[in-house]
Amino acid sequence: MSGAAPHLRLEGLTRHYGGAPAPAVDAVSLDLPRGALLALLGPSGCGKTTTLRMIAGLERPDGGRILVGGQDVTALPPHRRQMGVVFQSYALFPHMTAAGNAAFGLEMRGLGRAERARRAQAALEMVGLGALAGRRPRQLSGGQQQRVALARALAIEPELLLLDEPLSALDAKLREGVRDEIRALQQRLGTTTVFVTHDQTEALAMADLVAVMDAGRVEQLAPPEEIFERPATRFVATFVGRAARLAGRLEPGGVFRCGGGLALRSASGLAPGPAEAFLRPHRVRLLAPAEAPPPGFDNLLDATLARRTYTGEVIALETETAAGPVMAELHAGTDEAWRGLAPGAPLRLAFRAADLAVFPAP
Amino acid sequence: MRPSWMLRLFAAFGLLVLLAPGALVLVVSFSAGDFLTFPPPGFSLRWYEALFTHAGLMSALATSALLAAAVSALALLVGAPAAYAIARLDFPGRGVLATLLMAPLLLPTLVLGLGLLLVLQPLGLVATWPGLMLGHSLVAIPFAVRIMTTAFAAVPKELEAAAWTLGATPLRAALRVTLPNAAPGAIAAGVLTFLVSFDETVISLFLVGPRLTTLPVEMFRYAERTTDPLIAALAMSLIVFALLMVAVVERLMGFTRAMGRD
Amino acid sequence: MIGWLLAAPALAVLALAFLWPMAGLFRISLNRTTETGAMETALTTESYGKLLGDEFIRELVWNTLVLAGSSAAIAVALALPVALMVRAASPRWRGPLALMAIAPLLVSGTARLIGWMAILGDNGLINALLMGLGLRETPWPLINNWTGVRIGLVESLMPYAVLVLIAGLGRLDPRLEEAAATLGAGRVRTFFRVTLPLAAPALLAAWLLALVLGISAFITPRLMGGGRVFVLATEIYDQALEYVNWPAASALAMLLLGGLVLLMLLRAAVAKFAGGRA
Repeated sequence: MSGAAPHLRLEGLTRHYGGAPAPAVDAVSLDLPRGALLALLGPSGCGKTTTLRMIAGLERPDGGRILVGGQDVTALPPHRRQMGVVFQSYALFPHMTAAGNAAFGLEMRGLGRAERARRAQAALEMVGLGALAGRRPRQLSGGQQQRVALARALAIEPELLLLDEPLSALDAKLREGVRDEIRALQQRLGTTTVFVTHDQTEALAMADLVAVMDAGRVEQLAPPEEIFERPATRFVATFVGRAARLAGRLEPGGVFRCGGGLALRSASGLAPGPAEAFLRPHRVRLLAPAEAPPPGFDNLLDATLARRTYTGEVIALETETAAGPVMAELHAGTDEAWRGLAPGAPLRLAFRAADLAVFPAP
Repeated sequence: MRPSWMLRLFAAFGLLVLLAPGALVLVVSFSAGDFLTFPPPGFSLRWYEALFTHAGLMSALATSALLAAAVSALALLVGAPAAYAIARLDFPGRGVLATLLMAPLLLPTLVLGLGLLLVLQPLGLVATWPGLMLGHSLVAIPFAVRIMTTAFAAVPKELEAAAWTLGATPLRAALRVTLPNAAPGAIAAGVLTFLVSFDETVISLFLVGPRLTTLPVEMFRYAERTTDPLIAALAMSLIVFALLMVAVVERLMGFTRAMGRD
Repeated sequence: MIGWLLAAPALAVLALAFLWPMAGLFRISLNRTTETGAMETALTTESYGKLLGDEFIRELVWNTLVLAGSSAAIAVALALPVALMVRAASPRWRGPLALMAIAPLLVSGTARLIGWMAILGDNGLINALLMGLGLRETPWPLINNWTGVRIGLVESLMPYAVLVLIAGLGRLDPRLEEAAATLGAGRVRTFFRVTLPLAAPALLAAWLLALVLGISAFITPRLMGGGRVFVLATEIYDQALEYVNWPAASALAMLLLGGLVLLMLLRAAVAKFAGGRA
């Protein structure tokens, strides 16, 4: 793949709605290699759906370009773009059967009746709905409708597959299964895909690349692990996963000075100044009050347990330290020794310098 | 909360007021007597026979039916594209357009009828088909636009967007996806505009003449002169016809929704 | 742009059927009626002057307002329980109930008035009952007078009031009344302290719509009044078709329009106020 042109390239893509003070999408640029799945992740109103609709041609950008396979498609109307779109509402045609829906794009391409029927049936079988081809959308369950929408989008053998929150209308129980099915199908077909979601678990589990968006801008574009473990901006650190936030100052040498004059080591190379540090609970090691830290754990904090919340697989701990509140967690099963811990108990928290993510104070 | 007996009682009285006239028309139309007396001295079908052999009323009925069919066809033809534009397209002045198209419904039909008389009389268009069609279009078109707008707006925009992404041009998407899904609403609009024209009285009063007259006008003039069970039989026939039409509309798109203002 | 293009045919027909006649109406209201009753082209406000100075017309306006105002109020009062019932009914009954209340809209007005004649006439249902029970010796005159007109008008305005109230009440959360009940308010107190104040904007909107329709009603005053009840609408009709005095009819129609436009502006203001509060 090295050296190959990106399959999808966005260059400074901008959309400004009349009347709104700030652009909905603000100079978004990114490259997506052929066959990859990109998740656009962000809170509602961050511009992720607008970006997707501009790629589909349903929304006209005010600035920037969209290139597919090196071709500029910015000015093309949606019906000439070859994009397979799965809408949040699925947007299945209620007056047509599942087969009619799947065949619609082929009909628009002028394919003969027999060829249409064959390929529509193949698309429905691909999503496991071959037996329900004669049903109308309202005779199908939510999960089945979702698959028909996917089959309809894939039947035209699209350049790109665009999915707008395709799982949000499904029951929580169904969601995980459908998520894995979509990912497996996408990998088997090798279809370059853009997937819009506000659910970080979905984005992290499915994507090759995640673009975290906020206020119309891409905050970070990286593989899921990097997004989670090495957030590039303060927003990514707060939006993805949970983290304790410590206020303080960054001093030369990566020393983070926080409440109580405490000095914590970080790997930050930022210029000195007011700063905020983020610490994820799963990076915090619990020690007994006098216990020595394991090698590599440079930072030690004395803490008092303030609250414990049982959530099933993990027990979330909130502790008070001189630097401020810090979260930690216990894993049922592996952390049995700590289960009896009660609020008020003294603790010692240890973590690596690299686990403290420091950003300039806003 | 379950409605209290007091609310039930008051509501029942309200409905009684609304439904009583229809019920009484039903009873007296089968009267065997010569006047609108209650209780009727006996029951018979004689007034229905008299009605269906009344040449003047029957020829007015034919005129009204033909006129209503032509008017509702015209209203749908010019109303549907306008309704599609209002429900679907985003363009400068859309709100103004919607208001303009609804404006005639806001004004009293008496004034509209008078205005039409004043400009059509000098042209010799009173008591002619073009004159009556124009007058009825005035109320039928806004009506058709309103119902069709509701019908088009009820078809999700995403459906059309989905059709575009699948390769349909905007025109093909409108014809293959939006129109079929709005079809029940279009039929409902046709039925209701037919009924609106068929029952239109006040504008017609200004526009008819001895050469060409409509059923509601003849009925009104008849009732002005005299009231006998013949007119009750006619009223009953019209009520039954209207209720049939309402049932059709109810089945197609929900009558309350069709008549609803926003 | 394509929007206006799609609407062009409809606009063209309406321009022909609406703008042109309205312009004609205004123009003719400025013409003069000569001593012999013929119309003479002119640019004068003579017809308006005559109307405003006419004692009979002033009485007519007053009578029309009283009739329409009272009928609208009664119609709204009768419509409120119906609308509340539609709202409170189970989903299975909601549709049929609303349908019963609104269906009269599409039944010919003349047909319904004939029903009222059979109820209110000297030989009608009510007088048959009253005299049969010995409560009255002679028939109670309920038609061919203001009473008959008012009853007919109330009934014809009710479906409109129900429609406005259903829409207005639909926006009120039924849980507010349930909350009042849990706080110890009885049904009557809940109605007067919670439901009625919340419904006030909808009630006002319904009354104003009924008022506008009542002021311009023609068929009901004509048929139920038996030629003995005179309101603005009947006068316009008579001036235009009986006396063929077009300038007078047009001027009267313009005055009616002016009044109605004022009321409609008021209605829009109320709707805006109610919308702003909701």
